[in-house]
Amino acid sequence: MHATLAPSFASFLRAARPELNARFAEARRQRPDLDGEAFARFLREAVDPLVRAVESVQPERAPDVARTAYELGLELVGQGLAGPTARDRWVNAGWMEVAPTAAALVAAAPERVLGALSNALHRLAATPGARPAEWVDAMAALAPRCADADAFLAAGQVAAWRAGMAHYRAGALAAADALPPALALAAVRAPGGEWPELRRRLAADPWFDPSAPAAAGLRVVGRAGAFRGFGGLFAEPPTVAAAGEHFLVRSGGDGWLLTADAFGATFHRAAPEESKDARPSSVPPGVTARGTAVSVDGARVDLPELGEIAGIAANGSTLAVTSPLSHAVVLLALA
Amino acid sequence: MGLLDALQRVSQSPTNPHAPAAPRAFDVADLYRGPLAAPADAAAAGPPLDEKLRQAYFWIVNTAIISPHYDVEFNDGPPQSFTLGDSKSRLTLPSAQSYSSFVLLPLLTFATRRKCLFVGGPGRGKTASALLMGILAGYPVREVRRAMLHGHPQMTVADLLGNPLPADLVGAQKMEDIRIAWRQWLGMRVKIIDEYNRIPTRTQSALLTVMGDNYAEILNHVYECPEAAWYLTANDETGGGTYPVIEALRDRIDVIVQALSFNPRFMVDLLARIEADVRPEELVPRQIVFTEAEVDRLGEEVRAIPVPVDVGRRMEFFASQFEFCEVAADQWEYKTKDTARLAGADWAAVTALETGRDRLKDVGCQSRNGLSVRVLTTLFVYAKALAYFRGNRVVELEDVRQVLPFVLHDKLLPDLDAPFFTAAGNASFRTDRVGWLRRVFDLSCADYDRLNLDRDDPVAQLAAEFRRGLSGVTEAQTRARLVAIERLVTEWSKGRKLYGHLYDDLLVLKYLHQRYTNYLRWLKTQ
Repeated sequence: MHATLAPSFASFLRAARPELNARFAEARRQRPDLDGEAFARFLREAVDPLVRAVESVQPERAPDVARTAYELGLELVGQGLAGPTARDRWVNAGWMEVAPTAAALVAAAPERVLGALSNALHRLAATPGARPAEWVDAMAALAPRCADADAFLAAGQVAAWRAGMAHYRAGALAAADALPPALALAAVRAPGGEWPELRRRLAADPWFDPSAPAAAGLRVVGRAGAFRGFGGLFAEPPTVAAAGEHFLVRSGGDGWLLTADAFGATFHRAAPEESKDARPSSVPPGVTARGTAVSVDGARVDLPELGEIAGIAANGSTLAVTSPLSHAVVLLALA
Repeated sequence: MGLLDALQRVSQSPTNPHAPAAPRAFDVADLYRGPLAAPADAAAAGPPLDEKLRQAYFWIVNTAIISPHYDVEFNDGPPQSFTLGDSKSRLTLPSAQSYSSFVLLPLLTFATRRKCLFVGGPGRGKTASALLMGILAGYPVREVRRAMLHGHPQMTVADLLGNPLPADLVGAQKMEDIRIAWRQWLGMRVKIIDEYNRIPTRTQSALLTVMGDNYAEILNHVYECPEAAWYLTANDETGGGTYPVIEALRDRIDVIVQALSFNPRFMVDLLARIEADVRPEELVPRQIVFTEAEVDRLGEEVRAIPVPVDVGRRMEFFASQFEFCEVAADQWEYKTKDTARLAGADWAAVTALETGRDRLKDVGCQSRNGLSVRVLTTLFVYAKALAYFRGNRVVELEDVRQVLPFVLHDKLLPDLDAPFFTAAGNASFRTDRVGWLRRVFDLSCADYDRLNLDRDDPVAQLAAEFRRGLSGVTEAQTRARLVAIERLVTEWSKGRKLYGHLYDDLLVLKYLHQRYTNYLRWLKTQ
């Protein structure tokens, strides 16, 4: 962080001082908790580096970016989503770590890019199972490779999927199709190869991971969920049932839809009518569970940490296994 | 974000989240939806109309009219309930999204293009609410203000409808030559009449033609008005205005909502508004303004909401409680309160003749009249509208229960001398019309459950059998049905006391018997 503000930002603040002060006063009237010091720190720590970055690529756009950032900052700090008193660090991280690397894109469409960045991080942070830190790193790396805001936002959708938002799988694949192949490959963090072939494999197998393409056969691919006392969702060991390509998970009186693939697993609150059907359901022929082991057509996986397996459900590609001794749902890839 | 922006902000969708039906779909575009509105969102296609209607509701209730009253209560689980004060008043904290009738009912009126009367003391936002409805219909504030009709004791028919052009009056050789300068409000899709109970009786009659038949007439010239939502205001709906409101005009009003008092705890919002010198009606967000086509579609979508049979049966049962008056006539069909009213009989004398029934338990004894077809139609429309507004696909019993007091507000007249109103704990119902009507409906539903009519309703079975048609029904079958009807009447005649619902059922049985009798007669000629 610089000791002084960027010249263009400082001159903008000076020139628009009465107007900006009025905006702040109005915002505080709406949100009495809006703290002037916290907002000033947000301007220094998040907005100033961004304006500097914009100044270096498109100096003439710096005042517009500063004005937009000021407006959005009032809203974000007022809602407790950004600034030193923010509920979590992710929106700040987006402004400080991603936005400066996307300076040219922010300069072209400041409200659109900064708004999307903030909203995406807010959503990632609020989704159990998603990894906002991974998304921030990915976007900081991808931003300089994006030609425009459209590409940046599409890459962000793919990166969100890659950062654990498994429920966006179909939409993210479609978004990746609109990207240049090299950018699409980078967004899914594939070490190389051709996008069409990779896309085919990604679409065909939810457990295909471009960074470990050789993995195959019956294997543990994930553990989703944890005890509520340790920050998880479940008050008691869950039960599971298949629900199309997803799973319905029930614990106590609550129910969730579990979406999972190679990039992560996310839980979404299920409606009572969805969750009441959550009970161990029938599994495909050839799948058996005895004691702590699961067998599928001769292949066997032992899960001693689960104890006696009590619940098992399957969709076309995945087995979900639960036991009365664990608060996690263990996921096994079938092929 | 400034106060101006805040006033123009509408609630984020979904305003009344419903559990999604499996399999659910996820949209990757949701990644960029969140606390900051994206510029692209504004350009995106509008939300479904029920969502837009809810957004309008929440904008009005949270921003425009400072309204902390949530008197239309819904629960999706047991609500928290507390008893307070010497009179053991009950305060309920609803467990589901609940609404303020003062905003909700006018909006449902807007969606269905019906007629709503605001009542309440001066300065409580009646006119302001009506004004907002005009703006929701897409009219500029100034135009709505100018077209608003203000009732006053000197108001003439010309003030109401318009004038013949003076030059034409002098030069015209025949009536058709006289051009009429119609008043602007007649052409509005939202019509507002402020203080309608100050309009002289003769002018009220002209107003009745517009309200009832949707046209105005001067000197043989007719002006056909567009379909419109009507908003009327009155400080006192019970006739305390300068002129008594003619009954036919009152009957045309579909719902009555009361403007409740301002809660001083919200004075800080009022102060902010004064300091910023803003008027909410001038800041209605364009996202919640409806085009004419959208209001047309709203009406169609509301009408398409079905009323399930079990809900409809309870409405029938409720409606059948009130018209019956055993002592009003000798002929079965005339045993109604309307017969007694038309005869000008003294009501107390009529009710004194009633013997045998438990007048405390019989909900029919609580009213001085029955329900008209117009009222029942209105009840259906508003129940559908409320279900639609809540984002439901069918009408639920609670929708009916919640709109019913506003529809029947001055349509079902309480008999304050009835034992119900002197029973312990019921004194407040003498003044609380909304609470009384809800209680009456609850009592009726409890009676319906007690009689087990969902499972054991022989009249409904006979009527359903008849509705399947007479084509192909043989003589033997017809006789069997006639016998079934006669047996049922015989069974009911064995010592059972007569109540409103039984009276209506017996009328249905008589109707069915007559239809089968006629059919049998026809069969014999074949």
